[in-house]
Parts: sequence; structure tokens; C-alpha cells
Amino acid sequence: MKSDNIIETEDLARYYEVGGETIRALDGVDLKVRRGEYLSIVGPSGSGKTTLFNMIGGLDRPTRGKVVIDEVDISQLDAYELAWLRCRKIGYIFQTFNLIDTLTALENVALPTIFAGVPRDEGTKKAEAILRSVGLGERLNHKPLQLSAGQQQRVAIARAMANDPAIVLADEPTGNLDLHTGTEIINLISELNKARGMTIIAATHDLKMIGVSDRVVWMRDGKIERIENGKTTP
Amino acid sequence: MAEGKETRRISFSLSDAFRLGYDNIKRRFRRAALIVAAITLGIAFFSTLSLMDAFFKAYAQAEGSSLQVESYQYWLVLVSLAVSVVSITNSMLIAVYERYREIGTMKCLGALDQHVLKLFLVESVILALVGGALGFGIGLVASIVSVGFTIGFKVFSQTPIGAILILFGETVSLSLILSTAATVYPAYRAAKLNPVEALRYEI
Repeated sequence: MKSDNIIETEDLARYYEVGGETIRALDGVDLKVRRGEYLSIVGPSGSGKTTLFNMIGGLDRPTRGKVVIDEVDISQLDAYELAWLRCRKIGYIFQTFNLIDTLTALENVALPTIFAGVPRDEGTKKAEAILRSVGLGERLNHKPLQLSAGQQQRVAIARAMANDPAIVLADEPTGNLDLHTGTEIINLISELNKARGMTIIAATHDLKMIGVSDRVVWMRDGKIERIENGKTTP
Repeated sequence: MAEGKETRRISFSLSDAFRLGYDNIKRRFRRAALIVAAITLGIAFFSTLSLMDAFFKAYAQAEGSSLQVESYQYWLVLVSLAVSVVSITNSMLIAVYERYREIGTMKCLGALDQHVLKLFLVESVILALVGGALGFGIGLVASIVSVGFTIGFKVFSQTPIGAILILFGETVSLSLILSTAATVYPAYRAAKLNPVEALRYEI
């Protein structure tokens, strides 16, 4: 039986030593993320949003506390299992898109399926279907630099979906986009959340992103300031 | 726990590595050309001398001459090959820096350290094959010109085809060994890259 919480963090902390000074990027975060919810994390830059993402994604190890994903404490996982987690369970969307310039949109989206061991034809077909679903059916063989910023972020979203992850981590997905494109991207992420039941965690300091979320976590100085319910209009 | 029963497969086959490596070489052609040039120059010098040696030997057997390649020339070859290795390593290290974000992204998508290592080594193998073949071609022309003008083109009536083919095999193998040796350290650096730092890195 699976618990209702897909992610739980317990007293999660990450300190860095910079020039003999301790920086508390995260300082005791207890967070429970419900399966299938759209959670926004809001806070000024330096409040620990990205660090929290790195912890949940298994990219960085905590100084103290733990992260439990689907009832598995990820600090107990070895490198192979962590890679598997990043590949199959978690999709990433970055502020800077981080597409691979040498590959076409189609190849970028198919890349995670290679690591997942999906046969090439199947992976390509799937990547094509996802790209069509995000409205890029006409841009399959374009390289990232031939696409607009909004289109690049759509490719990145399609890539995050490629292995049907249970969790999608979006770190400032609209940070490099204009208002109109940003809204489109948020609506797209929100649609994917509803249509595919993926749990979305989106960090932002962009208040228009909050409207689509089920809950909003306010962070400051590495701590959770408060958690409130989003979608004030039912 | 149900999780344990799932097959937790992460894969990156050799053919995938070749495909990605080839794409990357095409795209970053100038850097690849520089690395190929480093390999080609060293190998060209090496194969010029070894081919001259083969021609001299064949000629000596037929005509009883005592022409041979001087041993100090082999020392020069050794030095030039060492210079090749150092410049390949240098170019590869810069290539790794240029691709920090790309490596970080691939790790976020589930690539293991060994996959990154494999990608860089495969690219180095492709470049070594090209550089080795090119270097041998240049060496062949250079040795024919050099031997032809010193003792006359009649030498090539005893062209040792078998010996040349064996030399070709040896030369390409040498190129592979040198290029791989030069790439091990940069590839290891790339593989060990921390994805968090890699993604933060701005060029």
C-alpha cells in the first residue's frame, strides 16, 4: 500500500562552508508532498528552493535529516539506484532549459528513454508523441537554437515527461520567459499535472504561478515560513 | 517492498554512445578538428619514418644497400608522440569545461558516471581512427616523396605491400592507444562531475 505522501522530508538541512563561514541553505525543513498535487515553492532567491530541489532529486546529500520518496529513504540508495530514481521517477525542468544544443528537439526528448533502456524506435515514437502533445509537432527536427525560448522550454517539459515520472521538479520554469510565454508554460505544466496525475513541485518567485497550484510553500532563509492552500477560487 | 522487484535498469549502449559521440563531433567540429590535427601530426611523423624504414629494408634486401633510418630519428618520433598526447589531453579538458552543463543535464536525466566516461572515450576512439588514418596517409605520401628523391623511384618496384598493411594496422592501434591514454583523465574528470555544480556553471 502506498502512502498518500509521495515525498516527505524530515528536518532536512544542508549547510555549506564558504570561507570559514557556515551558510545554512536549508535549515530543518519538514515537508509532506501529496501524490498528484501541484505544489509551488515561493521565496526570494537564496531562500533554499534550489537546494531543496537538489535534495529531493537526489543530486545532493543532506547535512542532516532525510528525504523519503515513495517510502524509500533516498540517502540509503547507491549511485546506481539514485540514477534510476532521476531517470524514471523524477523529471526536471530548469530555468535555463538545459537542452543539449547538438541534438534536435526529438533527440533531446528521446535522450532520457535511452538511459531508461527503452528500445530506440520506441523511445523516438514516444518522444514524438509527447512533442506533439506540447504543440511542437512541426518542430521535431529543429535544434534548440532554432527555437524560441518558449518553444525550448516546451521541449524541456516534453523531455521531463519522457519516462512518465511520478514527480516533476520545475525550478523557476518561467524565469527566462516573458509574461505571455510564461503563462502558457504554466498552463501547460498545470495541464500535465491534471491529465497525467504527475506530482508537480515548482519553485518560483513569480506570483502568477501560484494561481494554478494546490498548495503554496513560502520559504525564507532555508526554512518554511508558512504553507497555504492555493486556488482560492474553487 | 514492491519497489525492489522492479527491474531498475539504467543503460547506455555502445551504439548509443557512438551515435551521440558522432553527433557531438559533427556539431563541435572545430574542437574535434584540433584534436584530430594533434593526433594526425604525431602519427604522420611516426608513419613517415616507419614506412621509410620498410622501403629501405625492402631495397636493401634486393640491392644490398645499407640505408636505414637513424636511431636519433626515432627519439624525435617519441617526443612528437608525447607532444601529441599532451595536446590531446589539453583539448579534451577544454571540451569537458565547454560541456559542463551538458554533462550535468545528462546526469540529471539518469546518466551514471560510467556513461559519461564511455561517451568521452568513444569520441576519442572516433577521433583516433580518423587521425590515425589521416596521419598514415600523410606519412605514406611523405615517405614515398622522401625515399623517391633520395634513392630514386625505382625503389618502389619492390614495394613491400604486406609490410605496409601491417604498419597501417600498427599505426592505427598506436593512435587508438595514445588517444585513449590522453582522454582517460579528462573523461574521468567529466564523469566525476557533481551535477549540482555543473548546472550552476556559466561559460
